[in-house]
Amino acid sequence: MSDRKFSVIGTDQVRKEAPDKARGEAIYADDIRLPRMLHGRIKRSDYAHARIISIDTSAAEALPGVKAVVVGSEAPQKYGIVPQAPTETAMAIDKVRYHGEPVAAVAATDPDIAEKALDLIEVEYEPLPVYVNTHDAIAEGAVALHEDNKYGNIAYQARQEFGEVDKAFEESHLVIEKTYKTSYVNHVFMEPHSAVARFDDNGDLRMWSSTQVPHYLHTMLSKVMDMPMAKIHVTVPNVGGGFGGKGEASNNELIAALLSRKARRPVKVIYSRREVFLQHRGRHPIEMKVKMGVDKEGYITAIDYDGLMDGGAYGAWGIIILFYTAAMLHLPYKVKNVRFFGRRIYTNKPTCGPMRGLGGVQPRFALESMMDELAIKLGMSPYELKLKNAIDKKHVTVSGVHVRHSEYKKCLEEVVSESGYLDKHGKLPFGKGVGLAGGYYISGTAYTLYMSYKPHSTALIRLDSESGVTLQCGATDIGQGSNMVLAMMCAEKLGLPYESIHVISGDTKNAPFDLGSFASRVTVAAGSAVCEAADKLIEQILPIAGVALGCRADQLAVGNGEIYSIYEKEIRMPFWDAVEKYIAAHGPLSATGSYTPPRRTGDFKGGNVGHSPTYGFTAHVAEVDVDTETGEVKVVNYNEAGDCGQPINPLSVEGQVEGSIVMAMGQALYEEIKMTPDGRLMNPNLHDYKVPTMRDIPNIKTLAVESYDEDSPFGAKEAGEGPIQPTIPAILNAIYDAIGVRFTEMPVTPEKVLAALAAKGQE
Amino acid sequence: MKKIITLNINGDDYDLAIKPTDFLVDIVRDTVGLTGTKKGCNIGDCGACTVLVDGRPILSCLTLAMSVVGKKIKTIEGVADGPELDPVQQAFIDKGAIQCGFCTPGMILSTTALLERNPAPTEEEIKHGLAGNICRCTGYVKIIDAVKHAAVLKTKEGTDVR
Amino acid sequence: MHLEPFEYEKPNSLVELEALLSKHADEARLLAGGTDLLVLVKEKILSPKMIIDIGDVAALQGITADPAKGLTILAGTKVSTIEHSAEVKEFAPALSFAAAQLGSSQVRHMATMAGNVCHGSPSAETSPVLLAHGAVLTIAKAGGERELPISDFWLAYRKTALAPGEYLKAFTLPALPKNAAVEYAFKGLRGAMEIDMVNVGVYLELEEDLETVKEVRIGMGAVGPIPYRAVKAEAELKGMKVDDAFFAKAGELAAAEATPIDDVRATADYRKKLMSVLTRRAFSAAFARIKGE
Repeated sequence: MSDRKFSVIGTDQVRKEAPDKARGEAIYADDIRLPRMLHGRIKRSDYAHARIISIDTSAAEALPGVKAVVVGSEAPQKYGIVPQAPTETAMAIDKVRYHGEPVAAVAATDPDIAEKALDLIEVEYEPLPVYVNTHDAIAEGAVALHEDNKYGNIAYQARQEFGEVDKAFEESHLVIEKTYKTSYVNHVFMEPHSAVARFDDNGDLRMWSSTQVPHYLHTMLSKVMDMPMAKIHVTVPNVGGGFGGKGEASNNELIAALLSRKARRPVKVIYSRREVFLQHRGRHPIEMKVKMGVDKEGYITAIDYDGLMDGGAYGAWGIIILFYTAAMLHLPYKVKNVRFFGRRIYTNKPTCGPMRGLGGVQPRFALESMMDELAIKLGMSPYELKLKNAIDKKHVTVSGVHVRHSEYKKCLEEVVSESGYLDKHGKLPFGKGVGLAGGYYISGTAYTLYMSYKPHSTALIRLDSESGVTLQCGATDIGQGSNMVLAMMCAEKLGLPYESIHVISGDTKNAPFDLGSFASRVTVAAGSAVCEAADKLIEQILPIAGVALGCRADQLAVGNGEIYSIYEKEIRMPFWDAVEKYIAAHGPLSATGSYTPPRRTGDFKGGNVGHSPTYGFTAHVAEVDVDTETGEVKVVNYNEAGDCGQPINPLSVEGQVEGSIVMAMGQALYEEIKMTPDGRLMNPNLHDYKVPTMRDIPNIKTLAVESYDEDSPFGAKEAGEGPIQPTIPAILNAIYDAIGVRFTEMPVTPEKVLAALAAKGQE
Repeated sequence: MKKIITLNINGDDYDLAIKPTDFLVDIVRDTVGLTGTKKGCNIGDCGACTVLVDGRPILSCLTLAMSVVGKKIKTIEGVADGPELDPVQQAFIDKGAIQCGFCTPGMILSTTALLERNPAPTEEEIKHGLAGNICRCTGYVKIIDAVKHAAVLKTKEGTDVR
Repeated sequence: MHLEPFEYEKPNSLVELEALLSKHADEARLLAGGTDLLVLVKEKILSPKMIIDIGDVAALQGITADPAKGLTILAGTKVSTIEHSAEVKEFAPALSFAAAQLGSSQVRHMATMAGNVCHGSPSAETSPVLLAHGAVLTIAKAGGERELPISDFWLAYRKTALAPGEYLKAFTLPALPKNAAVEYAFKGLRGAMEIDMVNVGVYLELEEDLETVKEVRIGMGAVGPIPYRAVKAEAELKGMKVDDAFFAKAGELAAAEATPIDDVRATADYRKKLMSVLTRRAFSAAFARIKGE
């Protein structure tokens, strides 16, 4: 990248909000207190599947200090992130579909009183059969969770086929078919959902909430509250992590609004950790039957995938995720023949939804495990097989997905060389092993979740001699650092220091429209909007500077807080002098930018899903030690090489990658929500739902491969969701290398390792 | 039921009316208004509510407010001495150890307590000392870097004073 | 959070503590660190009428080592104090190690070993080591004290030998004879903040020949409703020659005496296997320690 000289991009800038966070002065939703604010608490069902016969709230209403009680029938409008198929209401109305589903809520002057009032609400239920696994839910004669659903408990199903799959299998040199199962896991962001709602005397609703998607929350509030969007204002304070789990409206947000309207007072509703597990929206457990063939040289001939997704009680992001699992079969390898069949099933469990790297993690686990197995059966290094099949710099899949820029091969090459994979694979003593896996992810989507042709991101930059640079953009910083990324881009464009950019974001009124923080979309989409706005500002200022300097505007550039001639060093003026001259002559100086992704589609069901402006790639090598007597697996070393385009802030990219790896390691080895047969959660807490602690992490080394996507803002691509894709198969492939056992289910607990070793010994 | 007690928080005395069933985390956050102490699980599994009592890191969600009368309580708001950030805070900022920031107050207080006992911890000792603070954003790598850096900054600071 | 009200008392001396205990024997719970008790209260499993906080009773704080009597740890001593105590490191290194594995740094700074033991959790970290050490408990009440071997302390799941009005005052770990060592081994799913799937403490004492077992104790955790000793195994192992076969045999016998159940953390079958491996490894480590390896 020798010809690209940046002053801000590519440097390790410090996040502006970091000092506030370090001092404990950063405000999160639960830190907000308003005058006359009440505390809301939620009454939750004692059954996983039951008809509600009656709800009696009279005793709760009579309790001193209780100011409002609401029940489901007061807000019958169904909502959902996919508005064509809404399935949820703010609280259950006629029936409950999972244990712990909200059925009523109370607002009181004190949280203790609200909790006490919950005990006074009498709900009568008529129990129905409970389905905690997909097979029971779709068995003959099963009671439908949603009576209006056309296909019983099959929420959605879809088929896609490209090429000649059967023929390709017939002609294959080697074919493997296996069933893989993934586990029921939660995001475990550290901040439980928190929301504060307030109605004013104009009937306007203000909401502060820990959401990733103020815009989608805005739409869903409008629907559930039956109010015009213009009368609702959503503001996102600091958010303590989301990872997808705060990627649609949650019950507490809707309930806070309902209680606030009824009580005519501000209401705060926060979740306990147990309630976070009930709201859930974690990763779908999928039972995947996968078939893959290769020819003699190890080139993939065909993939056939049949996935049964456990969706839990409601629709949520389900249909989107279903189609993402389909899209994920096509990359990052060249595959000519692909068949997909997927079903998403309703079960009596907290609802699954979007979780970091949605749709990709499960098929990636199956496919990367399979390729490892195929390579070894062919007597070939898994690296060689993966490199042979890896896509080139540009690629179009058989499903019509265009990849405009990929350095995936470089990722494989560099991670293998950094980790010493080739010297270790197949060569370490029994109990030690290395595993390789690759992956990719979208950098934003081509479509909104509802039919719309508006830009996905907009930005407004104001230059003002009094208040400096104000960058307004509705993108939402949930801790991933998007405010910093956008400010760095703005600073680079305007030739000003990063510190001088003031960002207003995550707000539906004070910042212009943005879809939200999901699908790793912000850097490319909002970044493009910011760049466009900044370019327009430069276009407006340079002619003014040109007049002042007596120089052609097209020979001027910005940098170091100055406007200067690119030919004559002595022709220069301070940037802010030009701004002042502009304002004196023309009035306020501001510009907007927007971004609409290229729209591509396939002429098949789900053909809109999987298209992205650009894609990030990554390859991982895990090294494990297996205690063959206790079955304990320790990940000791971990290497990653990623193609995220030009890293805007390398330190932040590393943070995203390291966090992804450790999160996925938790899913591979420890994490799993367990349930009783009657649908209760056995471990809705952080002592029995085990996320990795500092003592569990391997020695992690990440590197960004040289990469620049010419069509992206400053060459950047995603780095927050691709890196979670290969971790599970990398670890499981390493376990195979260590002990010769191939795990097709997770988490790989010591107990399962020991059982597998024993079974292997008996063979 | 309620009693008037005095809690010394960050060097200041607060006279508070509290019940035996009140937990320190709620008193600090809701009554005193120091919301930097975070509540991530409320039953001692995440470390977000860590505060120092007489220099020892404790879980304020499992501490009765009445039990810390007469002790010196330090919350995240009391770590920086005036306008200057504490070296631990500065290290967390500079090393990219802060993402969403929700675990940060607890991490910083655990680090403060660790470095007090052990000014030059090894990586293993850092992991041992901070394993009770869960972070889901960073994968801990940058936090470990920050603790190591803080140890260096603190040692330098000590040298300067002498 | 809404809790049933309780009264809170904080005695300053043993006299005050004993007076409170005799007056409120049935409804009071002692609060040492709170990391067990207050979780149970918050989860509404326990709702005591009174909580007696022993945090200010200075007479319950401290560790003393006496070459003849052994190591005495008073009940109010924090686990972190035990973890870092030079005396404990010298006289009972396995206890120091077990203490360091308990919960997290915060939990260790709050919790006491007495709380760990009195809550009677079958998987408590320090219990197997105390069993292995043959620790003796001093149990006190207004007007009297008694001593009880720790192996008689737990009666049933979360039930102890403490009578109403009594409290645990001190632990005494008899001085180790020469040619003896204690080791602790445990396994949780992750590296910290764990409730162990299995833990075990072993005591090995050799004859002068340094190869014949003179005395042996095995304290097992998380494999039954209480922590307990594998007495049959102990009897069988006594007098054996120490070699690899002995280590293996010790593991097998301990596992045979383990009576675990399936729960959210592990299955019974796995726990038995783990008990075998951990016991074997612990004995092997104890042997190495005696030999100064």
